[in-house]
Amino acid sequence: MNRRDLLKALAGAPLLFARQRPAAVTTVNGVVFGVETFSFHDLPPSGDPQLIPTIIKSLQTLGIAECEIMSGHIEPFASVMTGWWVQSRRSPDFPRLREEARQWRLTVPMTYYRDIRRRFEDAGLRIYLYNVNFNETFTDAERDRTFGAARELGAEGFSSSTALSEARRLVPFVKTHNMFVAMHNHNNLADPDQFATPASFETALAMSPLFHVTLDIGHFTAGNNDAVAFIRQHHDRIINIHVRDRKRNNGPNRPFGQGDTPIADVLRLIRNNRYSIRCYLEYEYGSFRPSLDEVQTCFDYCKRVLAS
Amino acid sequence: MTAMTSVRNYVLLAIVPILTIGLRLDARQERDAGGFKAPTVALERGRTVYVLNHCHFCHGDDLTRATMGAANLTQSPLVGADEDGNIIGPLVKAGLPNLQTAMPSYVELTSQEIVDLARYIHYLRQQARFRELSRVTNTAAGDRSAGETYFNGAGKCRSCHSVTVDLADIGRKYDTATLRARMLRPGPNVPADGVSPTDGQVAHLKLLENYTAADVQNLAAYLGVR
Repeated sequence: MNRRDLLKALAGAPLLFARQRPAAVTTVNGVVFGVETFSFHDLPPSGDPQLIPTIIKSLQTLGIAECEIMSGHIEPFASVMTGWWVQSRRSPDFPRLREEARQWRLTVPMTYYRDIRRRFEDAGLRIYLYNVNFNETFTDAERDRTFGAARELGAEGFSSSTALSEARRLVPFVKTHNMFVAMHNHNNLADPDQFATPASFETALAMSPLFHVTLDIGHFTAGNNDAVAFIRQHHDRIINIHVRDRKRNNGPNRPFGQGDTPIADVLRLIRNNRYSIRCYLEYEYGSFRPSLDEVQTCFDYCKRVLAS
Repeated sequence: MTAMTSVRNYVLLAIVPILTIGLRLDARQERDAGGFKAPTVALERGRTVYVLNHCHFCHGDDLTRATMGAANLTQSPLVGADEDGNIIGPLVKAGLPNLQTAMPSYVELTSQEIVDLARYIHYLRQQARFRELSRVTNTAAGDRSAGETYFNGAGKCRSCHSVTVDLADIGRKYDTATLRARMLRPGPNVPADGVSPTDGQVAHLKLLENYTAADVQNLAAYLGVR
């Protein structure tokens, strides 16, 4: 080993020790639970110094060790500035704001992400997935840099509300970085480029072995799809599910147990078959109560379901 | 202590309780995860529909912070044209399934809930638009001629008012800011239980929802110079 190799090995040592820490996991009857940080509706705005501490405190209060964290909770600008919502691109300010977001991504030192990872790990928590909504407003340099950011955050991969056309662009990046992207669905059945049906997922899964699924069982049900059947068929390609309850026929979100989503059947299917699918709570129904109280109510519902 | 210092201290002593009362009044407007409580029983019913159907997640609890690609309901022409839910109701029931992230369909809402919801949305819109249009200060940039055209045409102001009778010399009676505020909302700032707005106040609220900034500048210029 020459001097350069030795210095390189020493430079990597802190990260090596960090990776040796036991990964924090929360299980209920063998089923792993996490939270999609979108669930915390009353957080400080993007970039606020209290944002990360509030997420950490919320996870600790819930007793849930891992999360899928939205890019708007990591980056100092809301995810609306990064182009996912087509409607938002019509704003006259969008080109300038989008360019500012791009330049921030391309120039922020990686220590920025490492520091956030350390704060989670010091609290006994883990960022398992980085939720970035890749879209055609990303440049290749930006895509590349975002994969680096996910790695520094300690994420295993991405969850992404994206489109089939963008998935094609991501194929070389998942290969280069050896990092997966799990496609997240909504329920727009009119646009074949959107993830909303079994066929749209299957098209993406065929593009790369590093493409997986974040199945939002609420949106899937609202699109009149069968979540149980899809999980039975594709459980080995599903990283996590978003647990929420919606009514069929594009119906609204409802408190857990009051919609048409087969939450209980899905959770028991995962438990009974020991599928390695993580279950991430996503709170989006209406309430006058603070979101943390509602996420706790969602978690309690799942615990009751899995106890029987 | 000089006489001036003494006077200043008395003034400060008088101001502190006034400010305190102001803060207490603000504190009475209770807030929860769905925003501020509504000022009347009927509007609170509407807020309940709005919040429990999670409309506020996308459209904002005061309509001004639309997210996730949702329409800004303070500017939506559909909301501006709505009467007691005749446009909002069918749209909300059908949903917008073909949006990138679909707006859900709320078929289970009753007719009464639709009316309550629509009135609450209009209330929020009126509050937001009053704040927005009150900031239009450059009335000097208004076009008097365009203001006159609006007064006699699209605004239908002439059906109730006359610049030679009730509005004669109104430009000298009020300063520009007051004139603009009275033009935007001649009734009370906040509705109250047991107090029905007059037909004229209702008409002004409808205008308030639909004025452009240019309309306000032009009207103020037209009325202010007489």
